[in-house]
Amino acid sequence: MKIDIDDALRYAGLRGAAPEESRREMELIAGELERKLTPRFAWRACELDRGDAGIALRGTGVVLTGTLAERMLADCRIACLLIGTAGSRFDALLRAEQARDMARAILMDGCGSAWAEAVCDEAEREIAARFPDLYLTDRFSPGYGDLPLDLQAAVCAALDAERRAGVHVTDSLLMVPVKTVTAIVGLSDRPQGTRIRGCAYCDLRETCAIRKGGTTCAV
Amino acid sequence: MPSKFWRDRIVILDGAMGTELQKWGLPAGADPVLWSLDHPDVLAAIHREYIEAGSQIIYANTFGANARKLARSGRSVDQVVAGAVAIARQAAVGTGVKVALDIGPLGELLEPLGTLTFEAAYEQFREIALAGERAGADLAVIETMTDLYEAKAALLAVKENTSLPAFVTMSVEESGRTFTGCTVQSMARTLEGLGADAIGLNCSLGPDQLAPLLAELCQNTRLPVIAKPNAGLPDPADGHYDMGPEDFAAAMLPCLEAGAAILGGCCGTSPEYIRKLREAVTGLEPVQRVYEPVSFVCTPVCPCRIDGVRIIGERVNPTGKKRFQQALLENDLDYILDVAVQQEDAGADILDVNVGYPGVDERTMLPRVVKHLQSAVSLPLQLDSSDSAALEAGLRVYNGKPAVNSVNGEPEVLERVLPIVKKYGAAVVGLTLDKGGIPQTAEGRVAIARRILDAALSYGIPKEDVWIDCLTLTVSAQQDQARETLKAVRAVTEELGLKTVLGVSNISFGLPNRPLITQNFLIQALGAGLALPIVNPNQREMLDAIAAFKALSGEDGGCMAYVERFAGWKAPAPGGAGSGPAKPAASKAVDTLEDAILRGLKEDAGRLAKEALLTEDEFSLVEKRLIPALDRVGEDYEAGKVFLPQLLSAAQAAQAVFEVIKMSIAEKGAAPMKKGRLILATVHGDIHDIGKNIVKTVLENYGYEVVDLGKDVPPETVVEAAVRENIRLVGLSALMTTTLPAMEETIRQLKSLPHPPTVMVGGAVLTPEYAAKMGADYYSKDAKQSVEIARKVFGA
Repeated sequence: MKIDIDDALRYAGLRGAAPEESRREMELIAGELERKLTPRFAWRACELDRGDAGIALRGTGVVLTGTLAERMLADCRIACLLIGTAGSRFDALLRAEQARDMARAILMDGCGSAWAEAVCDEAEREIAARFPDLYLTDRFSPGYGDLPLDLQAAVCAALDAERRAGVHVTDSLLMVPVKTVTAIVGLSDRPQGTRIRGCAYCDLRETCAIRKGGTTCAV
Repeated sequence: MPSKFWRDRIVILDGAMGTELQKWGLPAGADPVLWSLDHPDVLAAIHREYIEAGSQIIYANTFGANARKLARSGRSVDQVVAGAVAIARQAAVGTGVKVALDIGPLGELLEPLGTLTFEAAYEQFREIALAGERAGADLAVIETMTDLYEAKAALLAVKENTSLPAFVTMSVEESGRTFTGCTVQSMARTLEGLGADAIGLNCSLGPDQLAPLLAELCQNTRLPVIAKPNAGLPDPADGHYDMGPEDFAAAMLPCLEAGAAILGGCCGTSPEYIRKLREAVTGLEPVQRVYEPVSFVCTPVCPCRIDGVRIIGERVNPTGKKRFQQALLENDLDYILDVAVQQEDAGADILDVNVGYPGVDERTMLPRVVKHLQSAVSLPLQLDSSDSAALEAGLRVYNGKPAVNSVNGEPEVLERVLPIVKKYGAAVVGLTLDKGGIPQTAEGRVAIARRILDAALSYGIPKEDVWIDCLTLTVSAQQDQARETLKAVRAVTEELGLKTVLGVSNISFGLPNRPLITQNFLIQALGAGLALPIVNPNQREMLDAIAAFKALSGEDGGCMAYVERFAGWKAPAPGGAGSGPAKPAASKAVDTLEDAILRGLKEDAGRLAKEALLTEDEFSLVEKRLIPALDRVGEDYEAGKVFLPQLLSAAQAAQAVFEVIKMSIAEKGAAPMKKGRLILATVHGDIHDIGKNIVKTVLENYGYEVVDLGKDVPPETVVEAAVRENIRLVGLSALMTTTLPAMEETIRQLKSLPHPPTVMVGGAVLTPEYAAKMGADYYSKDAKQSVEIARKVFGA
């Protein structure tokens, strides 16, 4: 799996034109991670049951509430839960790097975020291949827009995330290993146009340094 | 329980429980343990089906019955375990089938991966183990572990609190590692050392992927081996496993062939799978296994077989090092970690860890240092202390199989230390000395070595775990002794068949050009059979010599490592300094300290600081040169001309300058320079600490002293530290909206103190408005701003 260096630099806070030496260093780190990490993801397809409480993913105990999920899944009969992680090996590498070189650790941290997203892309490709006649919506995650963050525990339980991906949810709804993404992606008979990505949906919009700098992270 | 019935025969376990419960009506999302207790007839029926299918050990439905998972259920661990074990026992009545207490992972990651302490995990497992024994379980099975540290906590809890036999199985991926990176070798040798009765692999893979991993496991243990794989691989879309009962049973035969003899099924299997498995192995016997004893230490991710020369780094030791002594007295664990990291990077294979110094409580310091080093160093450790209680405290919290340095020929010492070595499955270094001192002849030393070996064997410590140190004496004082040491090394290696350890640097004490003598002695000792030289890995001459030795002995196949080490080597200019690996091309000339800091060049900054101290005092170096240079980088960062990594590079170059200053002050014995002391903590519930660590690095390199309380810090701990250390500034970090309440509570408690400290807060989801609303004095948007705040608070 390849890490997108531009993504990694952006996650590390190097907005605009990153210095050439940072880019070179990032390429080295990405190469190192690509050698050491295994892409690890899990997903599960569920039929959707629409009710007063929200959209239930059959057989899981997960119920999606709010307008974001409603809009995203408007055309869908099926949705997939998915989880992608850089794994606890990444956490260990990052901890070791922080003890060595904090400047490099910042780059590695960004690289880990890019890796987790790339793993989710990989999972999406697998889903798309498995359902060749259906179209995928953009993926969206607990904590996005009005989709509650406290779905995290139920999503991870439905995915058997501890056993299948080595991911745990803490009491404060953080996931360990830290570079982990859970998401929901809808499957529809029609091509999906809804774009949810953008600052309006992001919890960080008030304090985001990238946004203040006049650009966006493009996520 | 009757004799060890699981040895030397095939034993059939049961199959999956969760999927069976679903067939009987377990609703989606419901807890299988609690639901089954409310449906005892269903649970009993499933157990009976497994017994009828041929299971000789059934697992009570207690997987996940721990205090955390049951917290909201209104039931205690004792109730749940007692209920589940009773149902299993009832189902087994009259069949001779044994009932296992099933202990799964706690569902929370242990430190350093997560925040659950080893001790707290142990307590949870202890509660489960005691409940299981009270309920009448015949044995305990610790299963589906992916973290060796958690498996150790569970195993110790069973062994120390019950008389139940303990089986341990872990889940590995096809790569041969668990999710946390633990290798099969590390798992096998650590768990056997800790006294497991059988070990193996369960879950995560099907039998065909598991067979080669079981073969590797069997080569690394003398214990009976368990195989409890899934019914093949799941279809991600619906979780359905791809292997039927017939195929599963057929695929289990290679697992038996590989050496496993305790066989069952995990996810996706059913009583039918177990029936087919039993039929398939009827009339078969376990295979004869070949175990190769090998000297070995490890961490989970880093197995270290001593089948060649392995370097023990000696630098984590305060003897003769003022800066290290100061770090110990000031609890500066990061300094100690830095010393360890440098040795790992220089090429050490094992690190000796000694923290004995007057005024330091080794019994609390050694375990703390072990944990701290293991958070960032992957190498195995050799715990070095003469205090057996300190050794035990360190061994207990060590993750993997460590070594102990040391015992000697004194019977009292052997009696005190060897039982601990045995209990924790460590290797042990025996010094060839006793009450009579160091024998002057090789024969005398070999005789002591033999005594140490006999004593170790009598405690059940295997021979390969006994390493002998034949002791180096100073050649300038006792010239004949160098020869005797070398003779003893050869005799212990060849006659006793033991690995030898030797600290070599003593040899040259008092002579000019010490590295030359030390290197020559090292080479001769290696020639005599020395396997474990204790050296300073930062001393190039020693590592060069070892690299050359390995090339000549054939250990370095194809001389690959040698060639890599000396790639780009150039013959020294006539009259120049000795050989060595090529230095990286020198950076563009750096003339001033300021330039080195601006460009983030650590080595140049340290060198220029040393030069500067010849003409300037420490204070003016910091205030007139270092800080202004850092400020310039900070301004460029504010202006968006440089980015965070460059800011941190500059800070780290400044750190090199501070190290030079601290060293200079420690050597003079003068009072350390103190600008102001503050606390940094990531709040309770939050585990993302890189932001806090960035702020720490920058603040420290402006000369502030940071008391780092770490991550997931409860409000009470912050308050207690603030009072105890008389702190004027506290910095709190939180990443997620879910942990802001913990931040608010910490601020509330701090502000209710009689002399409340100033509080600054930062983190991705915070806003200045929210910070003010919570009662914080300052909102810090980044590391640079935290320096401005510290300046205001401390006036410097």
